[in-house]
Amino acid sequence: MTGYVLRRLAQMLPVLLIASLGIWAMIYAVPGGPAGMILGENATPQQLAALRAELGLDRSIVAQYWLWLSGALTGNMGRSIFYHQSVASLIMERLPATLQLGLCSIIVGLLLGMPVAVISAIRPGTWIDRVLSGWSALALGVPTFWLGILLILLFAVELRLLPSASAHVPFFEDPLAMLKNVALPAITLGTYVSGIFARFLRASLIAELNADYVRTARAKGLPERQVIGSHALSNALLPFVTVVGLMTANFIGGAVVTESVFTYPGLGRLLVQAISTRDYPLIQGAILVIMVIYMLTNLIVDVIYAYIDPRIEYA
Amino acid sequence: MTRRVLEYPGAVAGLLFLGALICFALAAPLLGLDPLEQDIIASLEGPSATYWFGTDELGRDLFARAVFGARTSLSTAAGAVLIAGAIGVPIGLISGFFGGWRDALLMRFVDVLLALPGILLAMAMIAVLGRSQMAALVAVGITGVPGFARITRAQVLSLRARDFVTAVEALGASATYSMMRTVLPNAWSPILVQAVVLSSVAILLEAALAFLGVGIPPPTPSWGEMLRTGKSYLHEAPTYAVLPGLVLTLTILSLDSIGRSMAAVLERDDPLTPARQGRAA
Repeated sequence: MTGYVLRRLAQMLPVLLIASLGIWAMIYAVPGGPAGMILGENATPQQLAALRAELGLDRSIVAQYWLWLSGALTGNMGRSIFYHQSVASLIMERLPATLQLGLCSIIVGLLLGMPVAVISAIRPGTWIDRVLSGWSALALGVPTFWLGILLILLFAVELRLLPSASAHVPFFEDPLAMLKNVALPAITLGTYVSGIFARFLRASLIAELNADYVRTARAKGLPERQVIGSHALSNALLPFVTVVGLMTANFIGGAVVTESVFTYPGLGRLLVQAISTRDYPLIQGAILVIMVIYMLTNLIVDVIYAYIDPRIEYA
Repeated sequence: MTRRVLEYPGAVAGLLFLGALICFALAAPLLGLDPLEQDIIASLEGPSATYWFGTDELGRDLFARAVFGARTSLSTAAGAVLIAGAIGVPIGLISGFFGGWRDALLMRFVDVLLALPGILLAMAMIAVLGRSQMAALVAVGITGVPGFARITRAQVLSLRARDFVTAVEALGASATYSMMRTVLPNAWSPILVQAVVLSSVAILLEAALAFLGVGIPPPTPSWGEMLRTGKSYLHEAPTYAVLPGLVLTLTILSLDSIGRSMAAVLERDDPLTPARQGRAA
């Protein structure tokens, strides 16, 4: 098992390295280069030269990349041009908000999607299955930003129950306020997650329900609840885990958009603002952090899959 | 294949909606619709006989803007799919056909593109290229490359092992001939399905970028931009954001259901064919 994890890490490393090279090179593709970008259009040649020396831009390209990478690895990603604050601290401020939103959306997705998957898998081909399949197509197809707007219209503008702009309130500070603030974004993103459950868990559950061991369980007189709950469902979750891995990209993309709909102060919104203000150190830092989170999530999904399914060879 | 896709009611509904949308988009200038004409006295009105979708904050006709937005959306999606196919299909073809170091190298390149979720890759590219229609088109196109590369590679790998390819090679055909004339023509169906799936992803991605304020810049009418601005007027004119969003959603659902029906037909005909990849954005 440890060997498998190490091998996966070793495969990930070159991809990370090349992708980080791309992110680093971004700033050089911008007109004026890094120094011109920081000082603006009115900089004198002397100022530019001084800043270039300060930033190490007079060194070789390899040395410059190494400087940036070793900085990033130790948590030093430079200073934001717009906020005049270190990029790392800005990201660390926003990260908990994004993680909290992600977690809440997954819970909403489970609560909505799990029953849909189970009910339609028990009665495949019936009208209720067709209605619920329609739900999954809708949940996966509706743009998150439009759904978010519809929810704001209903719950904030018409019913005045929930805020239209969501602040980040840590759960342990004020659970009720946190729920009020995170409810709409979490339902928006959670709907997408529930669509994944409804479509893919249904498929793997149907396959499991046709297996011999399910017939045996029924034949020995186990109640249906137990047959589905403890036998079929736990096995159906196995192939489903890989689907979860494939969908992480959409989930992260959805989170970026959802945060903007609700002006929720997370990492995604920070990145969008950084692009609008052309704050390149912040853009680089945010993208780098999101990339590492994304790749680690994929790694964890693979490892969990290998761990819970003893049939998977680690080789 | 066309007739068998029409056996799926979802695909028929999707084709009808898309057909109507394309007709409107093409005929827009003939219908006397002007997306830029301002009537400031009639700003932020609800739907009426004159303005079917109402008007925006500058008194522009939202229906006209939605129709011209369809032109922006559909042409960006088409361009993006072409870019993605033009890069992705050759990568998959060479990678699957030759294997070895070419495969390893090209697939690592694809892995690097996949190191970021699609929308973030597009945002990173726009951060460098600046905000323009061309930048949005290229950025959305590049995010589609891995999908085409992988589907083509998988298809080529399964075709390579078949007898007719071996036969052509045994007859002394060159690698280029066997790749271009024997393998590629047989790989088109799943690539076509991928193109349909990707166009729905491309439309969604383009709209999302515009919604975030990093896509095609105004005053070019775009659905995402309409939702972005409409969101500020939810109290005054709720239909402002709702109706263009509905058109966008129906377009995405239509393409999605056509794509899924095509994949289902393909799977029925040939269970060995890898029919489709997950969505990219």
